[in-house]
Amino acid sequence: MAEGGAGEPPPPPRAPLERLVLKNAAEHHYLRVSLEFPDGGVRLNAAHFKQLVVSALKELHGEVGAALPVDVLTYDEKTLSAILRVSSSGFVKLWSALTLLGSYQNRKCAFRVVQTSPFLLALSGNSRELVLD
Amino acid sequence: MVRFKHRYLLCEVVAEDPRCRHCIDERAVTTAAKGALARAHGDYGLACCSIAFTVKYLNAYTGVVLLRCRKDFYRLLWSALPLVTHLESRGQRHPCFFHTLHVGGTIRSCQKFLIQYNRRQLVMLLNSCTNKEERESIQQSLLGCFLQEAEEEQFQSGEEEDDCADTD
Repeated sequence: MAEGGAGEPPPPPRAPLERLVLKNAAEHHYLRVSLEFPDGGVRLNAAHFKQLVVSALKELHGEVGAALPVDVLTYDEKTLSAILRVSSSGFVKLWSALTLLGSYQNRKCAFRVVQTSPFLLALSGNSRELVLD
Repeated sequence: MVRFKHRYLLCEVVAEDPRCRHCIDERAVTTAAKGALARAHGDYGLACCSIAFTVKYLNAYTGVVLLRCRKDFYRLLWSALPLVTHLESRGQRHPCFFHTLHVGGTIRSCQKFLIQYNRRQLVMLLNSCTNKEERESIQQSLLGCFLQEAEEEQFQSGEEEDDCADTD
């Protein structure tokens, strides 16, 4: 007959289960956008591009929208594509302003939003443009 | 109950020029407020606040204006009002600004506030008036409103407050 538990050391006290839930959304949202001109042949440098974005915001959302902190992180002049960064509270305002922008200097244009993500790393790969050999 | 809820903004039009008061009319106030909304919040803000936008009450002598808008967008209107710089009517421009006194959910709550505010203003005017005639007329109106207040209290002592349901 063995008194089983008498000689064994007492089991270590269990740490209380602690669950941490962080609901803080990311501070910034990143968008990969490209500007399309159906008539073609327009050249914009980075400063003009940013001015176009800010003027789109100003048209739809006024002074408050134009004051939204938007950054152009990369810009490619040949393809007119860029990566924009905006604070998360202004994400909807920026996207709606880009959607409703119709013209630049009396020429028709359209913003195509290719990818968005709260993480910049996610914009490095796009599975839609993946080419399988 | 499903209904449209509104917010009523009680504002005072403050201007240096005493002639401005007589030129305040509904159309001038509407144009000024919508212009400020378009500048501050763009097409979106203008459209949102114009859904149920009206000037509900206007007092040309004291310059008090009561504006109404939807409850969801009252902040847009409230933040755009300080950007009003002038009122235009009949081709004349009068520099002025809007001083927001109270935001209420019903016209009745704004009216209650306005009555109390006017009483306090009368007391302040009494302290600062220079003329004997002015002093007498202000004292008479003050006596008048305190008598009315005493009568109202007698009537309302039996009633319960059942009009606080709309302050949502």
